[in-house]
Amino acid sequence: MVDPNLLIGLSMLTTGLVLGAIFALTAAGVTIVYGCIWLPNAASGQFFLLAPLVAWSLSTAMGWSPILAVAAVLIAGLPFAYLLERLLIRRFYDVPDRNIAYFVVTLGITQILSGVFSITWGQWSDQYNIPPLAEGVVFIGPFPLPANRLIALVGALALLGALFVGLRYHRFGRALRAVFQNREAAALRGVDVQRIYLGAFLLGTSVIFAGGLLYAMAYSFDLSVAWSMGITAFAIMIVGGPGSVLGALVVGMLFGFVQAAVSVFASPTAATLSYLLAMLVILLLRPSGLFAR
Amino acid sequence: MGVFGVELRRRHEACRGGDRCGGGVLGRPLRFLVIDNQTNPTQALAAARSFDAQDKVLVISGPTSSDNALAIYGYAEQNQVPFLVPVAAFPQLTKPGTQWTFRLEPAAVGWGYSIAKFVEQKKPGAKIAIMYSDFALMRAIAAGLKYQIPRSNLTAGPEIVFPQGSSDATIQATQVRAASPDYVVVIGAGAFDNTITNQLLDLGVKPDQIIHPFGFTTNILGWGARSVGSYFGTFFDHDLDGVTAEGKKFIKDFAEKNGRPPSYIENFCYTTPYVIKQAIEQAGTVDRAKFRDALRALQTKETTSGVPIAFDKNGARQEYIYYMQITSMDVAKKEYSAKQVFYMEWSPEVIPVYDLVK
Repeated sequence: MVDPNLLIGLSMLTTGLVLGAIFALTAAGVTIVYGCIWLPNAASGQFFLLAPLVAWSLSTAMGWSPILAVAAVLIAGLPFAYLLERLLIRRFYDVPDRNIAYFVVTLGITQILSGVFSITWGQWSDQYNIPPLAEGVVFIGPFPLPANRLIALVGALALLGALFVGLRYHRFGRALRAVFQNREAAALRGVDVQRIYLGAFLLGTSVIFAGGLLYAMAYSFDLSVAWSMGITAFAIMIVGGPGSVLGALVVGMLFGFVQAAVSVFASPTAATLSYLLAMLVILLLRPSGLFAR
Repeated sequence: MGVFGVELRRRHEACRGGDRCGGGVLGRPLRFLVIDNQTNPTQALAAARSFDAQDKVLVISGPTSSDNALAIYGYAEQNQVPFLVPVAAFPQLTKPGTQWTFRLEPAAVGWGYSIAKFVEQKKPGAKIAIMYSDFALMRAIAAGLKYQIPRSNLTAGPEIVFPQGSSDATIQATQVRAASPDYVVVIGAGAFDNTITNQLLDLGVKPDQIIHPFGFTTNILGWGARSVGSYFGTFFDHDLDGVTAEGKKFIKDFAEKNGRPPSYIENFCYTTPYVIKQAIEQAGTVDRAKFRDALRALQTKETTSGVPIAFDKNGARQEYIYYMQITSMDVAKKEYSAKQVFYMEWSPEVIPVYDLVK
């Protein structure tokens, strides 16, 4: 007979890890865009939802294999983000106080996408499940973790690692960080700032798409996840320090574990509010965030 | 007649075509008016107003959801329009004092009550865990179950409520597993129902320890082949022992058209025009008050299963439920088979149904 406390402890650990990694990845996407372009993307939650909805349609209605559907959505995310940047985002690059303009514009995108989702996918189902990439469970000690969820965890951690290394050591990453820190100085050193903006938007949006897809591989979801994840990613960015990928990683993990722990010791309902409470407490102690640049 | 709902519309059209309703009633053809309410309560209310004031219909029938039915309920009661609801389980649709609304589907609180009665018969003194999503329907089922558990000398195990939009139950499934209940009642919303079910199975809970209060074809298939052995409540199933010849034809025709067997929702829609026709025949007139009185006095049976149909003073149907155990499943072919393991009938107010859920 397995010790019930050990089982519950392992379930808390794996849940915290999976949730935390996906939170961190999504918040990293949001913080890259905000830190570089100064674009607080209110539509990030809708982007997070768009990717798995399309993958759901491809895999369930059109019969694509889930791997192919996920890959296709990730690839299609690039032209989507490119068009958006060309047609809309770049028009505000030289607007004074553009963060406010961006916030209003992306709120509009949020409303439009939300309406589109409710008259399309919202009519077809109320919850969505992407077919599993892998069946069965993997035992972590006595605890059975679904293989699909393990893939999502490994995928999220791998992407986070790649982001971290890429931003630190790759030429584009270094240029992006230079623009984060001081766009005028970066321009004087020969960095094509507008090109970096484009790259940051493509990268950030793709990372958010990846976060949505990994979430949908791990869990079922409904249309409300756009709002909850949008708020969560923003909260992580603010607590971690806007523009800090390290902050997104640390605080994302922290929020994931807080939610898992509160779920064990209180209730799932309390868990959904717990990390927002944690955000308030941290901001009271460090108003500029834990890893402010 | 004003009609909502795709399946209900099909049944009414079939009725007009004469395959079940003899082509008409009282020597006159039946005429059905159809409005799509888009599953929107505001539009449902506007349509009800139009059916009543402009079209002067005898009876409004549909919709197939509690939210929309509740939107029409007040109008129907206030304006004295007979309102026959095929599928809507929220108890307050037939609260005491209801005069013009009738409902074919038993109230959800009763479903919960029946689970306790089922378990009481299956394993006296059993311990039951409950996992449910925080929606009105699920709360109503849980309320009935929690009310009846001590009265059936059963023990309540962990009770876990998931907020709307929940997508993970790993920790809660582990907590339930750790409490070693005899049965787990799973009442999740949509695909989350599949998530909870699969997480319980992953953790070693046996399929025959899992009870779903209701199962219609698409969500039974959603639980997957791993759920063979699980139990579900229903009001009609293609594998019921008592399916009549007409019921078998209904199942065959439906499966040919839709690629899957019908479930209780479609059966209620199938039954609705038949109930309307019988009430008109008994009333002998198309006067609304006399039609309402005829519905109240109706004593008939579902032609697909032989289950009695009668309404109490508030328009609530005399309740009944079947419990089925899944015996095989082929998700790709959209097929499953199940055996009937329990059946009961009861009066709606054998439990304080309108006090348990407001």
